[in-house]
Amino acid sequence: MTGQMMKLEVRDELLAMRREPATLFFSVLMPVLFFAMFIGLFGPEGATDASIIAPYGTFAVLAVVMLSPGIGLADARDRGWLRVKRVSGIPLSMTLLAKVIAAVPYAVAVLLAITVVAVFVGGMTVDVGTLLRVFVVLVLGAMPFALFSLAVGALAGTTASAAILNAILMPMVILSGLWFPHEIMPEWVVSIGEFMPTYHLAQLAMVQVEGGAWLGHLAVLGLTAVVGATVAALTYRSARP
Amino acid sequence: MSSVLAVNNLRHRYGAVEALAGVSLSIQEGEFVALLGPNGAGKTTLVRSIVGLIKPTSGTVTVAGGDPAKAIVRRRLGVVQQDVGFPRTLTVAEVVEGAAARAGGDPATAQRALDEMGLDEVRKRRASDLSGGQQQRLQLAMGLVGDPALLVLDEPTVGLDVSARRAFWLTLAERRRGGTGILLTTHIVEEAAAVADRVVVLDGGRVVAEGTPDELRRLLPGRRISARTRVPVEAIRAVDDVVSASAEADRMVITAIHAEPVVRVLLDLDRDLRDLEVATPSLDEVLSELTTDRERVAA
Ligand SMILES: Nc1ncnc2c1ncn2[C@@H]1O[C@H](COP(=O)(O)OP(=O)(O)O)[C@@H](O)[C@H]1O
Ligand SMILES: [Mg+2]
Repeated sequence: MTGQMMKLEVRDELLAMRREPATLFFSVLMPVLFFAMFIGLFGPEGATDASIIAPYGTFAVLAVVMLSPGIGLADARDRGWLRVKRVSGIPLSMTLLAKVIAAVPYAVAVLLAITVVAVFVGGMTVDVGTLLRVFVVLVLGAMPFALFSLAVGALAGTTASAAILNAILMPMVILSGLWFPHEIMPEWVVSIGEFMPTYHLAQLAMVQVEGGAWLGHLAVLGLTAVVGATVAALTYRSARP
Repeated sequence: MSSVLAVNNLRHRYGAVEALAGVSLSIQEGEFVALLGPNGAGKTTLVRSIVGLIKPTSGTVTVAGGDPAKAIVRRRLGVVQQDVGFPRTLTVAEVVEGAAARAGGDPATAQRALDEMGLDEVRKRRASDLSGGQQQRLQLAMGLVGDPALLVLDEPTVGLDVSARRAFWLTLAERRRGGTGILLTTHIVEEAAAVADRVVVLDGGRVVAEGTPDELRRLLPGRRISARTRVPVEAIRAVDDVVSASAEADRMVITAIHAEPVVRVLLDLDRDLRDLEVATPSLDEVLSELTTDRERVAA
């Protein structure tokens, strides 16, 4: 019964993403085009391993996982569809979880697309094991950010949620060196960036490629998850149904 | 017969506004109760408490033996809410089939609900593209697939055209024969009186009257008298049988238990009296009398 309901929730959410062309455009196509442009402009800077895709891949995964669940939740609330679902006996937690799960295939798709661009435009060599580890780290590591996304979507309207989530995500992305590497950034940006959970997610992915200490990065993500879960729990309680 | 809804001394506050001030109400299997009340009476708040969307400040709600705050209990409900909508990413058929699958029923129940609600010809349309009346029927179709113990319908006939309304009443009558309890809110009195076993009048968050449609009609004075006259209102108010009297320009409207003594006085005092009419108040008037009386008391 519960399994069947969960399956239906995920199906609805996947249909929602597929049938909403804007989602596909902004969360998959645009990040990939930007990546192609970056790599065409700046080149791979000597590296031929998965470090080409780790930082930008972090951004691309977050663009899916941090935007779509929250915006989708806000839209369902604005329309009154969430209330229809709730009175029809679907637990709220199931609806929320389904929104996050439905984002995962898109996160993986955008990572694959970036990988293809990196191989053909950036001359990246493929090491399946490394790539797999990077993918798993990025997708799992992005989950705490989905909690913040849902918290915003539980409080703000659709347009406001999109604006707020972008306003949170984009500065973190820039400061964490996911678009432009920290090497070309001023010192103060770097020192702020090192406080961002997004930075540690990217570093954890880099460790999969280059090795090095990982416990600190994992601890920051764990802390992010705890804070995210607390914020989410508080907002769902106060959110208008 | 067992009770499918038991509301006990329910109160709900929105900040300073007390929307429900101690409401008790119960519905038996196969019973059709109409909840009447003017705008702001608290109907929607009561509905939202019954379907588990808001947590009451105090008091209890029991639906089909359980607490509607639990999702599993809500699955025994069919609900038509006000101010809800549908996603533009699902078709009408997908919405109803999804509801059927969640209720554990086979897809045939979805088809039956689509047919009953006259939605079969729009089954391929995106749910958000339906008109307001169609979306209301879509909500009911979702609620019907699970063979609900209780239907809770908040002003469900708003936006339905004549033929949709007819199909809607037929469906409700059939479900009620099958044992489903029905709570329907409305501010259109006569339509509720025509179908309900019992009418509950809500005003200012309180039940101000309750009974069969006939009992409610009897609750109020039998006659409404109107005429164009220059007789002072005070003189009429002094007549024994008069419950209330008001005048605007030369037109006077009187509510009285019996018409004859009042008419006699009117004719004695004013030989030029014109346009005398005596009528039995409609249930609509009874309702507005009941609810405005309370306002006068509160003011
Ligand atoms: N979300 C809300 N916040 C504050 N006040 C509300 C809210 N919803 C309803 N009210 C107030 O509660 C009272 C009852 O409203 P409602 O239950 O919608 O009545 P009805 O459905 O009978 O028109 C009204 O005074 C209304 O203004
Ligand atoms: Mg209402």
